[in-house]
Amino acid sequence: MELFELLNFYVIPGIVLGSIYALGAVGITLIFAILRYAHLAHGDLATFGAFVALACVTGMGIPPLAALPIAILVTAAIAVGIDKVFYEHLRDRPKIVTVMASLGIALMLRSVVQVVWGVDTQTYSRGIVRPEDYFGLRIRDRELYTVAALIFLVGGLQLFLTRSKWGKAMRAMSDNPNLALLSGIDNRKVVMLTWVIAGGLCAASGFFLGYNTEIKSMMGWHMLLPMFAAAILGGVGRVEGAVLGGLIVGIAEELSVLVIPSEYKAAMAFAILLFMLLVRPTGLLKGKVL
Amino acid sequence: MTALLSMEDLTGGYGDADILMDVSLHVDADEIVAIVGPNGAGKSTAMKSVFGLLSIRSGKMLFDGDDITRWAPNRIVQRGICYVPQVDNIFREMSIHENLEMGGFLRKGDLSAAYDRVYTLFPDLKERRRTPAGSLSGGQRQMVAMGRALMLDPKLLLLDEPTAGLSPKYMEQIFQICRDVRDTGVAILLVEQHAKQALAFADRGYVLAAGRNRHEGSGADLLADREVAEMFLGG
Ligand SMILES: Nc1ncnc2c1ncn2[C@@H]1O[C@H](COP(=O)(O)OP(=O)(O)OP(=O)(O)O)[C@@H](O)[C@H]1O
Ligand SMILES: [Mg+2]
Repeated sequence: MELFELLNFYVIPGIVLGSIYALGAVGITLIFAILRYAHLAHGDLATFGAFVALACVTGMGIPPLAALPIAILVTAAIAVGIDKVFYEHLRDRPKIVTVMASLGIALMLRSVVQVVWGVDTQTYSRGIVRPEDYFGLRIRDRELYTVAALIFLVGGLQLFLTRSKWGKAMRAMSDNPNLALLSGIDNRKVVMLTWVIAGGLCAASGFFLGYNTEIKSMMGWHMLLPMFAAAILGGVGRVEGAVLGGLIVGIAEELSVLVIPSEYKAAMAFAILLFMLLVRPTGLLKGKVL
Repeated sequence: MTALLSMEDLTGGYGDADILMDVSLHVDADEIVAIVGPNGAGKSTAMKSVFGLLSIRSGKMLFDGDDITRWAPNRIVQRGICYVPQVDNIFREMSIHENLEMGGFLRKGDLSAAYDRVYTLFPDLKERRRTPAGSLSGGQRQMVAMGRALMLDPKLLLLDEPTAGLSPKYMEQIFQICRDVRDTGVAILLVEQHAKQALAFADRGYVLAAGRNRHEGSGADLLADREVAEMFLGG
Protein backbone atom coordinates (compact mmCIF):
# COMPACT_ATOMS: atom_id res chain seq x y z
CA MET A 1 0.00 0.00 0.00
CA GLU A 2 1.37 3.36 -0.87
CA LEU A 3 1.83 6.21 1.57
CA PHE A 4 -0.93 8.45 0.26
CA GLU A 5 -3.46 5.68 0.44
CA LEU A 6 -2.51 5.09 4.07
CA LEU A 7 -2.77 8.79 4.87
CA ASN A 8 -6.00 9.44 2.97
CA PHE A 9 -7.98 6.41 4.06
CA TYR A 10 -6.70 5.76 7.55
CA VAL A 11 -4.59 8.51 9.12
CA ILE A 12 -6.67 11.53 8.15
CA PRO A 13 -9.99 9.93 9.19
CA GLY A 14 -8.17 8.81 12.35
CA ILE A 15 -7.12 12.36 13.18
CA VAL A 16 -10.67 13.59 12.60
CA LEU A 17 -12.19 10.87 14.76
CA GLY A 18 -9.44 11.45 17.31
CA SER A 19 -10.26 15.17 17.46
CA ILE A 20 -13.87 14.29 18.17
CA TYR A 21 -12.85 11.92 20.97
CA ALA A 22 -10.43 14.52 22.30
CA LEU A 23 -13.18 17.13 22.68
CA GLY A 24 -15.13 14.72 24.88
CA ALA A 25 -12.08 13.38 26.72
CA VAL A 26 -11.02 16.87 27.82
CA GLY A 27 -14.37 17.29 29.56
CA ILE A 28 -14.09 13.87 31.20
CA THR A 29 -10.63 14.66 32.47
CA LEU A 30 -11.71 18.07 33.82
CA ILE A 31 -14.67 16.58 35.66
CA PHE A 32 -12.43 13.94 37.14
CA ALA A 33 -9.80 16.47 38.16
CA ILE A 34 -12.24 18.70 39.99
CA LEU A 35 -15.14 16.50 41.07
CA ARG A 36 -13.23 13.21 41.32
CA TYR A 37 -15.73 10.95 39.60
CA ALA A 38 -16.17 9.29 36.23
CA HIS A 39 -19.04 10.95 34.40
CA LEU A 40 -20.82 8.21 32.46
CA ALA A 41 -23.42 10.50 30.93
CA HIS A 42 -20.77 12.24 28.88
CA GLY A 43 -21.52 10.35 25.67
CA ASP A 44 -25.24 10.91 25.81
CA LEU A 45 -24.71 14.56 26.63
CA ALA A 46 -22.74 14.72 23.36
CA THR A 47 -25.66 13.10 21.54
CA PHE A 48 -27.95 15.68 23.05
CA GLY A 49 -25.69 18.48 21.83
CA ALA A 50 -25.66 17.01 18.31
CA PHE A 51 -29.46 16.94 18.24
CA VAL A 52 -29.78 20.49 19.55
CA ALA A 53 -27.64 21.57 16.60
CA LEU A 54 -29.85 19.50 14.30
CA ALA A 55 -32.95 21.22 15.67
CA CYS A 56 -31.37 24.60 14.90
CA VAL A 57 -30.42 23.51 11.37
CA THR A 58 -33.87 22.16 10.51
CA GLY A 59 -35.90 24.62 12.57
CA MET A 60 -34.12 27.88 11.81
CA GLY A 61 -32.62 26.95 8.47
CA ILE A 62 -29.11 28.01 9.49
CA PRO A 63 -25.96 26.20 8.31
CA PRO A 64 -24.59 23.50 10.63
CA LEU A 65 -21.52 25.49 11.71
CA ALA A 66 -23.74 28.40 12.73
CA ALA A 67 -25.78 25.98 14.85
CA LEU A 68 -22.67 24.82 16.73
CA PRO A 69 -22.34 27.81 19.11
CA ILE A 70 -26.02 27.52 19.99
CA ALA A 71 -25.65 23.80 20.69
CA ILE A 72 -22.60 24.54 22.87
CA LEU A 73 -24.47 27.11 24.94
CA VAL A 74 -27.61 25.01 25.35
CA THR A 75 -25.67 21.88 26.30
CA ALA A 76 -23.51 23.81 28.76
CA ALA A 77 -26.67 25.11 30.42
CA ILE A 78 -28.17 21.62 30.53
CA ALA A 79 -24.97 20.24 32.07
CA VAL A 80 -25.06 22.87 34.80
CA GLY A 81 -28.74 22.10 35.36
CA ILE A 82 -28.13 18.35 35.63
CA ASP A 83 -25.42 19.00 38.20
CA LYS A 84 -27.63 21.29 40.25
CA VAL A 85 -30.64 18.98 40.19
CA PHE A 86 -29.00 15.56 40.43
CA TYR A 87 -25.29 15.51 41.29
CA GLU A 88 -24.98 18.33 43.78
CA HIS A 89 -26.85 16.53 46.54
CA LEU A 90 -24.56 13.53 46.21
CA ARG A 91 -21.33 15.50 46.65
CA ASP A 92 -20.71 14.34 50.23
CA ARG A 93 -21.63 10.72 49.51
CA PRO A 94 -19.14 8.14 48.24
CA LYS A 95 -18.20 8.98 44.63
CA ILE A 96 -19.53 5.68 43.31
CA VAL A 97 -23.04 6.93 44.06
CA THR A 98 -22.56 9.82 41.64
CA VAL A 99 -21.05 7.49 39.05
CA MET A 100 -24.17 5.32 39.19
CA ALA A 101 -26.37 8.42 39.09
CA SER A 102 -24.56 9.58 35.96
CA LEU A 103 -25.36 6.24 34.32
CA GLY A 104 -29.02 6.93 35.08
CA ILE A 105 -28.69 10.42 33.60
CA ALA A 106 -27.16 8.85 30.49
CA LEU A 107 -30.22 6.66 30.00
CA MET A 108 -32.52 9.56 30.71
CA LEU A 109 -30.82 11.88 28.22
CA ARG A 110 -30.97 9.17 25.57
CA SER A 111 -34.70 8.68 26.17
CA VAL A 112 -35.30 12.41 25.86
CA VAL A 113 -33.41 12.43 22.57
CA GLN A 114 -35.34 9.42 21.28
CA VAL A 115 -38.71 10.81 22.30
CA VAL A 116 -38.09 14.28 20.89
CA TRP A 117 -36.14 13.45 17.74
CA GLY A 118 -36.93 9.78 17.10
CA VAL A 119 -34.57 6.89 16.57
CA ASP A 120 -33.91 7.33 12.85
CA THR A 121 -30.52 8.22 11.48
CA GLN A 122 -30.32 11.84 10.37
CA THR A 123 -27.81 14.23 8.82
CA TYR A 124 -27.11 17.96 8.99
CA SER A 125 -26.96 18.30 5.22
CA ARG A 126 -27.81 15.98 2.37
CA GLY A 127 -25.63 14.95 -0.49
CA ILE A 128 -22.11 13.65 -0.75
CA VAL A 129 -19.22 16.04 -0.28
CA ARG A 130 -16.16 15.27 -2.34
CA PRO A 131 -12.83 15.89 -0.66
CA GLU A 132 -10.50 18.56 -1.97
CA ASP A 133 -7.06 17.58 -3.12
CA TYR A 134 -4.12 19.11 -1.27
CA PHE A 135 -0.96 17.88 -3.01
CA GLY A 136 -2.31 14.36 -2.99
CA LEU A 137 -3.91 14.55 0.46
CA ARG A 138 -7.67 14.31 0.15
CA ILE A 139 -9.37 16.35 2.86
CA ARG A 140 -12.98 17.47 3.21
CA ASP A 141 -13.74 20.95 4.51
CA ARG A 142 -15.69 19.52 7.42
CA GLU A 143 -12.60 17.57 8.44
CA LEU A 144 -10.57 20.75 8.50
CA TYR A 145 -13.26 22.45 10.59
CA THR A 146 -13.22 19.60 13.06
CA VAL A 147 -9.48 19.79 13.67
CA ALA A 148 -9.61 23.60 13.70
CA ALA A 149 -12.37 23.49 16.32
CA LEU A 150 -10.28 21.21 18.52
CA ILE A 151 -7.29 23.54 18.29
CA PHE A 152 -9.39 26.62 18.86
CA LEU A 153 -11.46 25.28 21.76
CA VAL A 154 -8.69 23.48 23.61
CA GLY A 155 -6.24 26.30 22.96
CA GLY A 156 -8.76 28.71 24.42
CA LEU A 157 -9.30 26.44 27.39
CA GLN A 158 -5.57 26.23 28.06
CA LEU A 159 -5.27 30.00 27.95
CA PHE A 160 -8.19 30.27 30.34
CA LEU A 161 -6.69 27.74 32.77
CA THR A 162 -3.23 29.29 32.81
CA ARG A 163 -3.99 33.00 32.51
CA SER A 164 -7.33 33.85 34.09
CA LYS A 165 -8.11 34.11 37.76
CA TRP A 166 -11.00 31.64 37.64
CA GLY A 167 -9.08 29.25 35.43
CA LYS A 168 -6.31 29.18 38.01
CA ALA A 169 -8.95 28.68 40.69
CA MET A 170 -10.07 25.57 38.80
CA ARG A 171 -6.51 24.25 38.78
CA ALA A 172 -6.16 25.09 42.47
CA MET A 173 -9.34 23.20 43.30
CA SER A 174 -8.06 20.20 41.37
CA ASP A 175 -4.63 20.41 42.97
CA ASN A 176 -5.61 20.80 46.63
CA PRO A 177 -9.34 21.23 47.32
CA ASN A 178 -8.92 21.89 51.04
CA LEU A 179 -6.37 24.61 50.57
CA ALA A 180 -8.51 26.16 47.83
CA LEU A 181 -11.37 26.42 50.32
CA LEU A 182 -9.04 27.85 52.97
CA SER A 183 -7.99 30.48 50.43
CA GLY A 184 -11.61 31.51 50.06
CA ILE A 185 -12.17 30.06 46.58
CA ASP A 186 -15.88 29.38 46.11
CA ASN A 187 -16.05 25.75 45.07
CA ARG A 188 -19.63 26.00 43.87
CA LYS A 189 -18.60 28.52 41.25
CA VAL A 190 -15.66 26.37 40.24
CA VAL A 191 -17.93 23.34 39.86
CA MET A 192 -20.37 25.34 37.77
CA LEU A 193 -17.59 26.57 35.53
CA THR A 194 -16.37 23.01 35.11
CA TRP A 195 -19.79 21.94 33.87
CA VAL A 196 -20.07 24.87 31.50
CA ILE A 197 -16.76 23.93 29.90
CA ALA A 198 -17.31 20.16 29.91
CA GLY A 199 -20.87 20.52 28.60
CA GLY A 200 -19.82 22.90 25.84
CA LEU A 201 -16.96 20.66 24.70
CA CYS A 202 -19.31 17.69 24.83
CA ALA A 203 -21.73 19.38 22.45
CA ALA A 204 -18.86 20.17 20.07
CA SER A 205 -17.78 16.54 20.19
CA GLY A 206 -21.27 15.25 19.37
CA PHE A 207 -21.77 17.88 16.71
CA PHE A 208 -18.59 17.03 14.85
CA LEU A 209 -19.30 13.31 15.00
CA GLY A 210 -22.68 14.01 13.44
CA TYR A 211 -21.19 16.49 10.97
CA ASN A 212 -18.61 14.00 9.72
CA THR A 213 -20.87 10.95 9.79
CA GLU A 214 -24.51 10.74 10.81
CA ILE A 215 -26.62 11.71 13.81
CA LYS A 216 -28.01 8.77 15.76
CA SER A 217 -29.47 8.48 19.23
CA MET A 218 -26.83 5.91 20.22
CA MET A 219 -23.83 7.76 18.80
CA GLY A 220 -22.68 9.24 22.09
CA TRP A 221 -22.99 6.01 24.01
CA HIS A 222 -20.65 4.36 21.52
CA MET A 223 -18.17 7.20 22.02
CA LEU A 224 -18.06 6.79 25.79
CA LEU A 225 -15.46 4.03 25.91
CA PRO A 226 -13.04 5.66 23.42
CA MET A 227 -13.38 8.98 25.27
CA PHE A 228 -12.55 7.38 28.62
CA ALA A 229 -9.71 5.43 27.02
CA ALA A 230 -8.36 8.72 25.68
CA ALA A 231 -8.59 10.47 29.05
CA ILE A 232 -6.85 7.63 30.86
CA LEU A 233 -4.28 7.14 28.13
CA GLY A 234 -3.26 10.78 28.36
CA GLY A 235 -3.19 10.83 32.15
CA VAL A 236 -6.34 11.76 34.02
CA GLY A 237 -6.47 15.43 34.96
CA ARG A 238 -4.28 16.48 32.04
CA VAL A 239 -5.98 18.52 29.33
CA GLU A 240 -3.12 18.14 26.85
CA GLY A 241 -3.01 14.44 27.72
CA ALA A 242 -6.68 14.03 26.83
CA VAL A 243 -6.03 15.61 23.42
CA LEU A 244 -3.06 13.35 22.80
CA GLY A 245 -5.00 10.32 24.03
CA GLY A 246 -7.98 11.18 21.81
CA LEU A 247 -5.81 11.42 18.72
CA ILE A 248 -4.02 8.15 19.49
CA VAL A 249 -7.29 6.27 20.08
CA GLY A 250 -8.86 7.73 16.93
CA ILE A 251 -5.90 6.90 14.70
CA ALA A 252 -5.50 3.46 16.27
CA GLU A 253 -9.18 2.67 15.61
CA GLU A 254 -8.91 3.63 11.94
CA LEU A 255 -5.61 1.78 11.46
CA SER A 256 -6.92 -1.33 13.21
CA VAL A 257 -9.07 -2.24 10.20
CA LEU A 258 -5.87 -3.03 8.35
CA VAL A 259 -5.36 -6.04 10.60
CA ILE A 260 -8.73 -6.91 12.14
CA PRO A 261 -12.26 -6.95 10.68
CA SER A 262 -13.81 -3.49 10.82
CA GLU A 263 -16.68 -4.66 13.03
CA TYR A 264 -14.10 -4.98 15.79
CA LYS A 265 -12.84 -1.42 15.38
CA ALA A 266 -14.53 -0.36 18.58
CA ALA A 267 -12.60 -3.01 20.52
CA MET A 268 -9.44 -1.02 19.86
CA ALA A 269 -10.30 1.58 22.49
CA PHE A 270 -10.95 -1.20 24.95
CA ALA A 271 -7.62 -2.84 24.16
CA ILE A 272 -5.76 0.46 24.60
CA LEU A 273 -7.54 1.12 27.86
CA LEU A 274 -6.71 -2.31 29.23
CA PHE A 275 -3.11 -2.15 28.08
CA MET A 276 -2.66 1.28 29.62
CA LEU A 277 -4.19 0.32 32.96
CA LEU A 278 -1.87 -2.68 33.15
CA VAL A 279 1.33 -1.03 31.97
CA ARG A 280 1.13 2.59 33.08
CA PRO A 281 -2.06 3.44 34.96
CA THR A 282 -1.05 7.07 35.42
CA GLY A 283 -1.19 7.67 31.66
CA LEU A 284 1.33 8.96 29.16
CA LEU A 285 1.64 12.38 30.77
CA LYS A 286 1.59 11.49 34.40
CA GLY A 287 -1.97 11.93 35.71
CA LYS A 288 -2.46 14.27 38.62
CA VAL A 289 -5.37 13.02 40.59
CA LEU A 290 -5.50 9.24 40.53
CA MET B 1 -6.98 46.14 76.00
CA THR B 2 -9.04 43.24 74.74
CA ALA B 3 -7.33 40.38 73.00
CA LEU B 4 -7.34 40.10 69.21
CA LEU B 5 -8.42 36.47 69.42
CA SER B 6 -9.89 34.82 72.44
CA MET B 7 -11.04 31.27 72.71
CA GLU B 8 -13.21 30.73 75.77
CA ASP B 9 -13.87 27.27 77.23
CA LEU B 10 -14.10 25.66 73.85
CA THR B 11 -15.32 22.05 73.66
CA GLY B 12 -15.66 20.24 70.35
CA GLY B 13 -14.33 17.67 67.91
CA TYR B 14 -14.66 16.21 64.44
CA GLY B 15 -17.83 14.24 64.96
CA ASP B 16 -19.34 12.70 68.02
CA ALA B 17 -16.28 12.50 70.24
CA ASP B 18 -14.93 15.74 71.68
CA ILE B 19 -11.21 16.28 71.18
CA LEU B 20 -10.92 19.66 72.87
CA MET B 21 -12.21 20.03 76.41
CA ASP B 22 -12.74 23.54 77.79
CA VAL B 23 -9.74 24.97 76.01
CA SER B 24 -9.14 28.67 76.52
CA LEU B 25 -6.46 30.82 75.02
CA HIS B 26 -5.94 34.30 73.71
CA VAL B 27 -3.67 36.16 71.35
CA ASP B 28 -3.06 39.89 71.53
CA ALA B 29 -2.29 42.03 68.52
CA ASP B 30 1.46 42.02 67.70
CA GLU B 31 2.03 38.89 69.73
CA ILE B 32 3.58 35.54 68.86
CA VAL B 33 1.92 32.75 70.82
CA ALA B 34 3.03 29.12 70.71
CA ILE B 35 0.99 26.02 71.48
CA VAL B 36 3.10 23.03 72.48
CA GLY B 37 2.30 19.58 73.80
CA PRO B 38 2.70 15.89 73.03
CA ASN B 39 1.55 14.24 69.79
CA GLY B 40 -2.19 13.88 69.63
CA ALA B 41 -2.73 16.52 72.32
CA GLY B 42 -5.15 18.40 70.11
CA LYS B 43 -2.85 21.21 69.04
CA SER B 44 -3.83 21.06 65.38
CA THR B 45 -7.43 20.60 66.40
CA ALA B 46 -7.32 23.77 68.50
CA MET B 47 -5.98 25.64 65.50
CA LYS B 48 -8.63 24.24 63.16
CA SER B 49 -11.31 25.27 65.63
CA VAL B 50 -10.28 28.92 65.20
CA PHE B 51 -10.81 28.51 61.50
CA GLY B 52 -14.30 27.06 61.74
CA LEU B 53 -13.29 23.55 60.70
CA LEU B 54 -14.64 21.82 63.78
CA SER B 55 -18.04 21.10 65.20
CA ILE B 56 -18.08 23.12 68.38
CA ARG B 57 -20.26 21.93 71.22
CA SER B 58 -19.79 24.73 73.68
CA GLY B 59 -17.68 27.76 74.37
CA LYS B 60 -17.00 30.66 72.06
CA MET B 61 -14.45 32.34 69.88
CA LEU B 62 -14.10 36.09 69.63
CA PHE B 63 -11.99 37.84 67.05
CA ASP B 64 -11.46 41.55 66.85
CA GLY B 65 -14.89 42.33 68.29
CA ASP B 66 -16.86 39.65 66.41
CA ASP B 67 -18.19 36.34 67.67
CA ILE B 68 -16.84 34.01 64.98
CA THR B 69 -17.67 30.73 66.73
CA ARG B 70 -19.93 29.41 64.01
CA TRP B 71 -18.61 31.23 60.99
CA ALA B 72 -17.67 29.36 57.82
CA PRO B 73 -13.97 29.33 56.86
CA ASN B 74 -14.32 31.64 53.86
CA ARG B 75 -15.98 34.28 56.01
CA ILE B 76 -13.22 33.94 58.60
CA VAL B 77 -10.57 34.39 55.90
CA GLN B 78 -12.24 37.56 54.77
CA ARG B 79 -12.39 38.82 58.34
CA GLY B 80 -8.60 38.61 58.65
CA ILE B 81 -7.40 35.20 59.81
CA CYS B 82 -5.27 33.09 57.50
CA TYR B 83 -4.29 29.52 58.19
CA VAL B 84 -1.34 27.39 57.10
CA PRO B 85 -2.20 23.71 57.68
CA GLN B 86 0.34 21.22 58.99
CA VAL B 87 0.33 19.14 55.79
CA ASP B 88 -0.69 19.72 52.16
CA ASN B 89 -0.32 23.44 52.53
CA ILE B 90 0.70 24.35 48.97
CA PHE B 91 -0.67 23.91 45.45
CA ARG B 92 2.00 21.54 44.14
CA GLU B 93 1.22 21.77 40.46
CA MET B 94 1.10 25.53 40.44
CA SER B 95 4.02 27.93 40.34
CA ILE B 96 5.13 29.87 43.40
CA HIS B 97 3.61 33.00 41.96
CA GLU B 98 0.31 31.25 41.26
CA ASN B 99 0.27 29.94 44.83
CA LEU B 100 0.51 33.51 46.04
CA GLU B 101 -2.15 34.61 43.58
CA MET B 102 -4.53 31.97 44.97
CA GLY B 103 -3.74 33.21 48.46
CA GLY B 104 -4.91 36.65 47.37
CA PHE B 105 -7.94 35.28 45.57
CA LEU B 106 -10.47 37.17 47.68
CA ARG B 107 -8.67 40.45 47.27
CA LYS B 108 -10.13 42.80 44.72
CA GLY B 109 -7.95 44.96 42.53
CA ASP B 110 -4.21 45.22 42.29
CA LEU B 111 -2.18 42.62 44.13
CA SER B 112 1.25 44.06 43.44
CA ALA B 113 1.73 45.53 46.94
CA ALA B 114 0.89 42.14 48.44
CA TYR B 115 3.35 40.35 46.13
CA ASP B 116 6.05 42.90 47.01
CA ARG B 117 5.54 42.32 50.70
CA VAL B 118 5.79 38.53 50.40
CA TYR B 119 8.78 38.65 48.07
CA THR B 120 10.52 41.07 50.43
CA LEU B 121 10.01 38.65 53.31
CA PHE B 122 11.08 35.67 51.17
CA PRO B 123 13.66 36.83 48.61
CA ASP B 124 14.39 33.17 47.72
CA LEU B 125 10.88 32.83 46.35
CA LYS B 126 11.08 35.81 44.06
CA GLU B 127 13.90 34.28 42.01
CA ARG B 128 11.94 31.09 41.53
CA ARG B 129 8.50 32.54 41.06
CA ARG B 130 7.80 30.44 37.95
CA THR B 131 8.88 27.14 39.57
CA PRO B 132 6.16 24.61 40.45
CA ALA B 133 5.81 24.67 44.23
CA GLY B 134 5.84 20.86 44.42
CA SER B 135 9.45 20.72 43.25
CA LEU B 136 10.80 22.90 46.08
CA SER B 137 12.60 21.79 49.24
CA GLY B 138 10.67 21.44 52.50
CA GLY B 139 11.80 24.79 53.83
CA GLN B 140 10.97 26.59 50.62
CA ARG B 141 7.54 24.97 50.54
CA GLN B 142 6.90 26.26 54.02
CA MET B 143 7.80 29.73 52.81
CA VAL B 144 5.37 29.40 49.90
CA ALA B 145 2.69 28.26 52.33
CA MET B 146 3.31 31.22 54.62
CA GLY B 147 3.50 33.58 51.67
CA ARG B 148 0.17 32.33 50.36
CA ALA B 149 -1.42 32.96 53.75
CA LEU B 150 0.00 36.50 53.94
CA MET B 151 -1.44 37.63 50.61
CA LEU B 152 -4.74 38.68 52.16
CA ASP B 153 -2.94 40.88 54.69
CA PRO B 154 -4.38 39.05 57.71
CA LYS B 155 -4.48 40.38 61.25
CA LEU B 156 -3.77 36.91 62.61
CA LEU B 157 -1.74 34.14 61.06
CA LEU B 158 -2.19 30.54 62.17
CA LEU B 159 0.85 28.31 61.55
CA ASP B 160 0.66 24.59 62.22
CA GLU B 161 4.18 23.23 62.76
CA PRO B 162 5.97 25.57 60.37
CA THR B 163 9.35 24.00 61.15
CA ALA B 164 8.42 20.31 61.01
CA GLY B 165 11.15 18.34 59.30
CA LEU B 166 13.40 21.34 58.78
CA SER B 167 17.09 21.62 59.66
CA PRO B 168 18.01 23.86 62.62
CA LYS B 169 19.30 26.48 60.20
CA TYR B 170 15.96 26.63 58.38
CA MET B 171 14.08 26.59 61.68
CA GLU B 172 15.96 29.71 62.78
CA GLN B 173 15.18 31.29 59.44
CA ILE B 174 11.45 30.55 59.71
CA PHE B 175 11.39 31.93 63.27
CA GLN B 176 13.15 35.06 62.08
CA ILE B 177 10.59 35.46 59.32
CA CYS B 178 7.82 35.08 61.91
CA ARG B 179 9.34 37.99 63.84
CA ASP B 180 9.55 40.04 60.66
CA VAL B 181 5.93 39.24 59.89
CA ARG B 182 4.90 40.19 63.40
CA ASP B 183 6.75 43.48 63.01
CA THR B 184 4.54 44.26 60.03
CA GLY B 185 1.57 44.13 62.41
CA VAL B 186 0.41 40.52 62.14
CA ALA B 187 -0.23 38.47 65.26
CA ILE B 188 0.88 34.83 65.05
CA LEU B 189 -0.47 31.73 66.72
CA LEU B 190 1.69 28.71 66.02
CA VAL B 191 1.81 25.08 66.95
CA GLU B 192 5.31 23.70 67.49
CA GLN B 193 6.85 20.29 67.87
CA HIS B 194 10.21 21.83 68.76
CA ALA B 195 8.84 22.98 72.10
CA LYS B 196 11.99 24.41 73.65
CA GLN B 197 12.98 26.50 70.68
CA ALA B 198 9.42 27.63 70.18
CA LEU B 199 8.94 28.74 73.78
CA ALA B 200 12.27 30.51 73.69
CA PHE B 201 11.20 32.46 70.64
CA ALA B 202 7.51 33.11 71.35
CA ASP B 203 6.13 35.86 73.57
CA ARG B 204 3.80 33.49 75.33
CA GLY B 205 2.97 29.83 75.25
CA TYR B 206 0.31 27.27 76.10
CA VAL B 207 0.93 23.65 76.96
CA LEU B 208 -1.89 21.43 75.80
CA ALA B 209 -2.25 17.78 76.79
CA ALA B 210 -5.08 15.34 76.11
CA GLY B 211 -7.27 18.13 74.76
CA ARG B 212 -7.00 20.33 77.85
CA ASN B 213 -5.06 23.40 78.94
CA ARG B 214 -2.22 22.33 81.19
CA HIS B 215 0.05 25.34 81.53
CA GLU B 216 0.34 28.83 80.23
CA GLY B 217 2.65 31.75 80.65
CA SER B 218 5.43 33.69 79.05
CA GLY B 219 7.86 31.57 77.06
CA ALA B 220 10.61 32.15 79.60
CA ASP B 221 8.40 31.20 82.56
CA LEU B 222 7.29 27.98 80.92
CA LEU B 223 10.86 27.05 80.10
CA ALA B 224 11.81 27.68 83.71
CA ASP B 225 8.90 25.68 85.12
CA ARG B 226 10.18 22.34 86.42
CA GLU B 227 6.97 20.39 85.82
CA VAL B 228 6.68 21.61 82.25
CA ALA B 229 10.30 20.79 81.67
CA GLU B 230 10.00 17.28 83.04
CA MET B 231 6.68 16.37 81.45
CA PHE B 232 6.84 18.05 78.08
CA LEU B 233 10.30 19.22 77.23
CA GLY B 234 12.15 16.01 77.90
CA GLY B 235 13.75 17.11 81.23
N1 LIG C 1 -9.87 14.82 60.83
C1 LIG C 1 -9.99 14.15 62.00
N2 LIG C 1 -11.08 13.38 62.25
C2 LIG C 1 -11.21 12.72 63.41
N3 LIG C 1 -10.29 12.74 64.40
C3 LIG C 1 -9.18 13.47 64.23
C4 LIG C 1 -8.97 14.21 63.00
N4 LIG C 1 -7.78 14.84 63.10
C5 LIG C 1 -7.29 14.54 64.32
N5 LIG C 1 -8.12 13.71 65.00
C6 LIG C 1 -7.91 13.20 66.36
O1 LIG C 1 -7.82 14.29 67.23
C7 LIG C 1 -6.84 14.07 68.22
C8 LIG C 1 -5.92 15.26 68.28
O2 LIG C 1 -5.27 15.37 67.03
P1 LIG C 1 -4.43 16.65 66.61
O3 LIG C 1 -4.10 16.49 65.17
O4 LIG C 1 -5.13 17.87 67.03
O5 LIG C 1 -3.12 16.45 67.50
P2 LIG C 1 -1.78 17.29 67.49
O6 LIG C 1 -1.60 17.77 68.88
O7 LIG C 1 -1.80 18.30 66.42
O8 LIG C 1 -0.72 16.16 67.19
P3 LIG C 1 0.62 16.21 66.29
O9 LIG C 1 1.69 16.76 67.16
O10 LIG C 1 0.88 14.78 65.96
O11 LIG C 1 0.35 17.06 65.09
C9 LIG C 1 -6.15 12.76 67.86
O12 LIG C 1 -6.62 11.77 68.74
C10 LIG C 1 -6.59 12.47 66.46
O13 LIG C 1 -6.75 11.09 66.28
MG1 LIG D 1 -0.80 18.56 64.61
